[in-house]
Amino acid sequence: MTDHVTFPDAVQWAVPFFIAAILAEFLWIAVKGRGGRYETRDAVTSLIMGAGNIASGFLLGFIAYAFFMWLWQITPLNLGTSIPVILLCFVLDDFRYYWVHRFGHRIRWVWASHVNHHSSQHYNLTTALRQTWTYTFTFMMLVRAPLILLGFHPAMVLFVGGLNLIYQFWIHTEAIGKMPRWFEAVMNTPSHHRAHHGRNARYLDCNYAGVFIIWDKMFGTFVPEQEDDRVDYGLVHNIGTFNPLRVAFHEWVGIWRDATQPGLTIRQRLAYCFAPPGYSHDGSRDNSEQIKAKHLDRHPEDRGTPGFEQFDTKQPNTQAKQA
Amino acid sequence: MPLDILLVLVVGGIAGITLLLHLTGRSRLRVLSPELAWSEWLRHAPDDSIIDVTVAHDGHAALIRTETGNGLLWSFGADTVARHLLDFDLLDHPQGFQVQFHDFATPKAIIHLDERERRHWQHLMEPA
Repeated sequence: MTDHVTFPDAVQWAVPFFIAAILAEFLWIAVKGRGGRYETRDAVTSLIMGAGNIASGFLLGFIAYAFFMWLWQITPLNLGTSIPVILLCFVLDDFRYYWVHRFGHRIRWVWASHVNHHSSQHYNLTTALRQTWTYTFTFMMLVRAPLILLGFHPAMVLFVGGLNLIYQFWIHTEAIGKMPRWFEAVMNTPSHHRAHHGRNARYLDCNYAGVFIIWDKMFGTFVPEQEDDRVDYGLVHNIGTFNPLRVAFHEWVGIWRDATQPGLTIRQRLAYCFAPPGYSHDGSRDNSEQIKAKHLDRHPEDRGTPGFEQFDTKQPNTQAKQA
Repeated sequence: MPLDILLVLVVGGIAGITLLLHLTGRSRLRVLSPELAWSEWLRHAPDDSIIDVTVAHDGHAALIRTETGNGLLWSFGADTVARHLLDFDLLDHPQGFQVQFHDFATPKAIIHLDERERRHWQHLMEPA
């Protein structure tokens, strides 16, 4: 096996572009008077989260890389580093990203890492940089294992993962409405990703795509942005802090407090760790299905519209089951 | 990319953007009217039925009485945050009250109130 394959750290090299693009978006909004909002402390928190994400990569990245190199040593396959192989790796890694992202919204342990990305009530290019510090602790690096066992070199897999994240930077904006129809049909776009960041009942748990929106269309999680349901950004329960440490760790603290309360069964403790966000042993919280069901009780006219298709055949006032 | 250059870019970028946003007026707090406080509360807690809304004179906090209990809405940068007043401590603060929530993600809110408001709010926030 050739272990001396090297690829650039694309995300680090993109930092000057990130800064320039943020300045350009800010100026665009200031001049045009539309296309998004900026707020000082929100933006600073997002930028510090981005810097912390790079720092956590320096500090903890070796864990995932060591795991990948171990897989690389045991696999008999080596697809090389030709351009077609890199392109194939990019597409397959985007498929990997879709599932990791979906797990990130449906498994509280993974949500604890991802939640900070959704914790801003703003949606601009700084929001793209509001990234996790704790991804290593989710063990989602396991989802990359099949790619390496198939013969894609770890350095290449990490390189295309970096390109994937860079692609996702530009879609965190309200300055761009819709892209051409063919592009909206295949690619993840600002419009699709705005819906993903919505806390409106309609937009919960949709549009997990990184680069290609086709994965959401294939797996039934696509919800197009609706002109008559403007996206409300943030969390179902918005947090009240700009402190990056609290932003980074609040859901982990929440898991700890919930799972260690006295009087719970082992099953309930595990559910607080791994069930979808919103689980509670006593029914005191709502998960996304229950939030959607309650919304339809208040707005029955939305039944069967995008984001509520799963309630098509159910009767009004049906209570969703607790996760 | 060499680490020292990356560090300069990141620190310089954050500092520059912070300065730009602050100097162009992007640090202003959201100002609440009764109507805005009402609609913002329902944005955060759509299941609630509001009885009435009391907005602080400075426009940065509102006490919301709902059929299921009281809640506090306050300006959070250009946005708002809302919490039901279920598990909290109300502490005196030189400018009004400090509400401590027992919540790592929302540790506290400082409500600026004048003397007259302070008595009224204390009365409203006392548990029923």
